Amino acid sequence: MDLIQTLLDGLMVGGLYATVAIGVTLVFGIMGILNFAHGQMVMLGAYTAFFVVSAGLGFWPALAISMLAMGALGLLLERLVFRHTLTDHMTGLTASLGVIMVIENLAAAAFTPDPRNFDPPLPGSFQIAGLTLSSQRMLVLTLVVLLVVGCYLFLQKTRTGKAVRAMGQNRTGAALVGIQINHVTAVIFILGSAMAGAAGVLYGSLFAISPYMAAAPLMKGFILTVLGGLGSVQGAVLAGFLLGLAESLGSRYLSASFRDGYGFILLIVTLLYFPRGLLGQRGKFRV
Amino acid sequence: MKLSIFTAFARSGALALASLALATSSLAQTVKLGMVNSLTGPHSTFDLPASEGVLMAVDEINRRGGITVKGVKHTFSVVSEDAQSKPEFAVSGAQLLLRDDAIKIVYGIMTSGPGMAAATVFGKNDVLYVGGFTLMDTILGKPGSDKMFRTLNNDATVARSFVPTSVKEMGLKKVGIMLPNEDVSRSIVAIYKPILEANGVQVPIVEYFQPDTSDFAPVLRKFQNQGLDGMLTGTNDAMVEAILRQTTELGNLPKKFMYRGGSGAPALKYAKQIDGFTWQILTRDLDNASDPKVKGWMDRYKAFTKKDISPNTYWALTYYDTVFMMARAIEEVGSTTDIKAITAKIKEMKYDGVRTMSFDKDGRAESDIDIGMLKNGKVTSVRASALQLQR
Repeated sequence: MDLIQTLLDGLMVGGLYATVAIGVTLVFGIMGILNFAHGQMVMLGAYTAFFVVSAGLGFWPALAISMLAMGALGLLLERLVFRHTLTDHMTGLTASLGVIMVIENLAAAAFTPDPRNFDPPLPGSFQIAGLTLSSQRMLVLTLVVLLVVGCYLFLQKTRTGKAVRAMGQNRTGAALVGIQINHVTAVIFILGSAMAGAAGVLYGSLFAISPYMAAAPLMKGFILTVLGGLGSVQGAVLAGFLLGLAESLGSRYLSASFRDGYGFILLIVTLLYFPRGLLGQRGKFRV
Repeated sequence: MKLSIFTAFARSGALALASLALATSSLAQTVKLGMVNSLTGPHSTFDLPASEGVLMAVDEINRRGGITVKGVKHTFSVVSEDAQSKPEFAVSGAQLLLRDDAIKIVYGIMTSGPGMAAATVFGKNDVLYVGGFTLMDTILGKPGSDKMFRTLNNDATVARSFVPTSVKEMGLKKVGIMLPNEDVSRSIVAIYKPILEANGVQVPIVEYFQPDTSDFAPVLRKFQNQGLDGMLTGTNDAMVEAILRQTTELGNLPKKFMYRGGSGAPALKYAKQIDGFTWQILTRDLDNASDPKVKGWMDRYKAFTKKDISPNTYWALTYYDTVFMMARAIEEVGSTTDIKAITAKIKEMKYDGVRTMSFDKDGRAESDIDIGMLKNGKVTSVRASALQLQR
């Protein structure tokens, strides 16, 4: 029973990691842009939800508004900053570090550094088959699975999704066959940022939020991008769940003070046997 | 003897200049105080109100006309540096202050990371340093810290009243300890566990978690089904609120909490879901103030800062009374620069201000504290005398 509960805890937190990692993988893996400001989208998404819920509109409008707002912010950043750094990765990296400082300090000034949280739609716990499960954690697990599946279907089944994948395989080739690179780039930023916004809302429904909360999800997002295979959305999702499980099982049955270490052990061991990541494409990137 | 007009004019001028010099020497002079505090970043929750307390005390002293040192009026001015919640900025802030030879007295820093870094700088210089961070207790009494004061009671002193009061009020019998994996947590366990056991409480489980943890589920699972009725935890409000929230979500966990921290805020939201919560008010309880001194201070704080009283306002009393102690010590010593004598004078002083303050020979505070309690949905507090604590 205890093991099952711990596994579910791991899947839930892993799903949150995966939701962040999808955005990182799309932007970094497919477009080669190191957008360190992605973690700030998670933070701003959480704050958007906090204010929407505090205004009495409830959790579900908060989720929708946060995703829309972060998608719009992602588009804005792409147009104003990253579109101009596509050919120079170092400039893009430096610009994203600047964006982090601007957003983080603005957030600290506007929201204060005090940690905040908002009421989850499903408080408390329930019993099932001898298990005591947190209602909100199960809701978050369900939502991250839906988001991940929805994102996967979008990339696999829609015309725009196919264009994104084509661009990930060969940017020049995609342009030659008539794919609007600028349009697809914007879509990638909107999608990745909206997913980060959703992750922020779900994160905020469970944990405290603060202007300085972005570092951990971002770091894990990059770990998962490498672990899953650069450019592989499925790989990032798989890696997210594996990381969540490794952290939960390690913290529960070994030591909780080494929590982040389990992820890095997983990363090192995986890269020893799968140098391109779990689902990295042969001949594409090798870490 | 006849004086020429020119000579008479020159003598009159010289006399006037001498009079002016004498008059100037009797006008108020300024004593510069330094402050290093985390005015930005996550630690500003504590340091910002604490810095307001210093500014407020200085303002009150100056409004009364300052202090008199050997017949000369002195007022205070404050030079402030921002530690930004980071040790490296605490060090650079301390170094900036010490570049000014006039600054011999420094206040600030409530958190151990930046605090230890800054204290190292102050320890190497002839500075009277008044801080509040927990790990300061590990350096007090050691070479280089003879002019340092910690204005909050240390854990050993607090625990001697906090543990028996909490055990009695909440009827605790079996308690688990859950703390972040930090040096300060090890010292907390070393102090609290024996006192809990001495009060008839079993402590079967002690767990440390990664300090930046947000998801406590895996470590909380270790506390499930252990027959625990209480949990001792810390070390900051956000962390403890997260622990309480997740404890109520996961189920089968203790519902009584001892918080080694200074606020009841983490528990207020969960008052109906938990059975008890105690915390340490190391200055004064502002939420249930009945003492006229506390009420008066609250009115003056609101007028000075133009802010309402918030859950963190009571940190503004961290240094407040100590500024008055320092001012009195300077007057009694008759020097603004003899730091050694001023230090010795403060150590022999008992000051009955908003807090009742005194220090031991190493600079550790021996102050009365309030113990906050949330029971049956109601918030109360009891006063614990520093004198009782020492018995």
